[in-house]
Amino acid sequence: MHKVKKLYFPFTRAGIQELLAYRMNFLCFFFGELFYCFVMYYVWKAVFESSGSGTFMDFSMNDMVVYLFISNVTGFITSSNVCEQVGDEIKDGSISMRLIKPVNCNLSYLFKELGQLVVLLTLIFVPMVLGVEIYRYCVNGFIMFNIVNFLLYLLSASFAYLISFYLNLCFGFMAFFVKNLWGFNILKKSLIKFLSGAVIPLAFMPNIIKQILELMPFASLSYTPVMIYMGKYDTQQIVFNILLQLFWLMFFYVLSKLIWKKAIKYLCVQGG
Amino acid sequence: MKRAWKIYKILTIQNLKRLMEYKIDFLTGAISFLIDQAVGIGFIFIIFSQIPNLAGFTFEQIVFIYGFSLIPKGIDHLLTDNLWSVGYFIVRKGDFDKYLTRPINPLFHVIAENFQLDAIGELLVGIVLVCSVAGTVGMVVTPLSILLFIIVIPFSSLIYTSIKMGTAAIAFWTKQSGQITQVFYMANEFAKYPTTIYNQFIRTIITYVVPFAFTGYYPAMYLLTGENPLFNIGGTVIISIILFIIAYTIWCKGLNAYESAGS
Repeated sequence: MHKVKKLYFPFTRAGIQELLAYRMNFLCFFFGELFYCFVMYYVWKAVFESSGSGTFMDFSMNDMVVYLFISNVTGFITSSNVCEQVGDEIKDGSISMRLIKPVNCNLSYLFKELGQLVVLLTLIFVPMVLGVEIYRYCVNGFIMFNIVNFLLYLLSASFAYLISFYLNLCFGFMAFFVKNLWGFNILKKSLIKFLSGAVIPLAFMPNIIKQILELMPFASLSYTPVMIYMGKYDTQQIVFNILLQLFWLMFFYVLSKLIWKKAIKYLCVQGG
Repeated sequence: MKRAWKIYKILTIQNLKRLMEYKIDFLTGAISFLIDQAVGIGFIFIIFSQIPNLAGFTFEQIVFIYGFSLIPKGIDHLLTDNLWSVGYFIVRKGDFDKYLTRPINPLFHVIAENFQLDAIGELLVGIVLVCSVAGTVGMVVTPLSILLFIIVIPFSSLIYTSIKMGTAAIAFWTKQSGQITQVFYMANEFAKYPTTIYNQFIRTIITYVVPFAFTGYYPAMYLLTGENPLFNIGGTVIISIILFIIAYTIWCKGLNAYESAGS
């Protein structure tokens, strides 16, 4: 344990410092996302006003607001940019510097991202959750915050983050085989946005599509934790979905190892 | 003018050659923009499966506004995508010197250098949506409205271009401003739906400050109802010209203040 700490904590510190040095980057990006949330908020408000009834497919306006903002912030903190990073390092050859260090390559990425996560959690996640809870308190007149659900949410969100990390790592390793990743990245982002329920809650999809998407790894990325946060799942569903997350985590972990083993033989650094 | 056109043609042909080299990249890029928009439409579809109208608008009308808003966005994306790079890395890496040493207007050179064919995804979805509902939506089709439609599109695109240009120019002082462009640009999400669903504050902002409402809702409303051409169309033209002048002034001031970042 001590060895791990000594080996990998410098990466974490570097991650924190890097993110703080370029804080405008992620803050602006986050505000852009926030615009999107507000547009959706007004669209949903109009929907609820037009529908006349208090609920839309079992979601109240209250639920919708929580879903919008919490799923957005969950997506934001569980998204991992290791894909771009690995891709860039493979492309410009700087990955060779990482390879000659006596550390596990994947873990060094992970610990660096964990450092960034610390910053994002304090600067974005905490204020966002507070904001949502204050909103709920103001609208309903009582505190709806459920500590058990929140702790389960944190557990599920941690799994979501790790799944996202290994999924992105697999994507990043594709740079070993294709030299230009830009298009794939954009495609990956828009697919994940759709399949993880960030635009349309999966609960609103036609039944058969919904069942398929809920089993796919993308639902594990933000939909599952958000549903737990909102208390939409009963105990049985929570257990099932967290086990499902664990399965996907193992799946992508093993997959990334396999690709790594194969790909490292292909590594071809052009110049240095 | 003739010379500019000639240069533009040469640069664009070069771009298309590069595109042929990275076919897969282009395809995945275009497909992903297409998916993004398709999801947006799916969202509207699901909403309307439950309610008859949204704040007084029918399904077809909402689709029309949504589709219309994609056309100026797509055109701007197609032609001036390189402005993003100015804010994100061209200035920071010191590559901007290149544009200053050539005997053409640097702004023109920056814009002409990239022809972003990926935008075809957005553009196609927009045109298909507008055409597919145009018959049923009760659009006022007169020679005048068609003429105004054609006139208003470039001006709406100019709003996008101006916002990108003005914010990208900030990089001349700060070395990097892509994030600022991103924040302003993301406000275009507001343009896809009728402005009447927002509160007064947001409505004022997207009409007069970051006037994205003029890239979608207002001109589309004229085509839908034939009402208020003075504000809906005239307003778009005037606002876009004012915005362009402001943005170009910032750009020129920025060019004067520009110091190379070294290489």
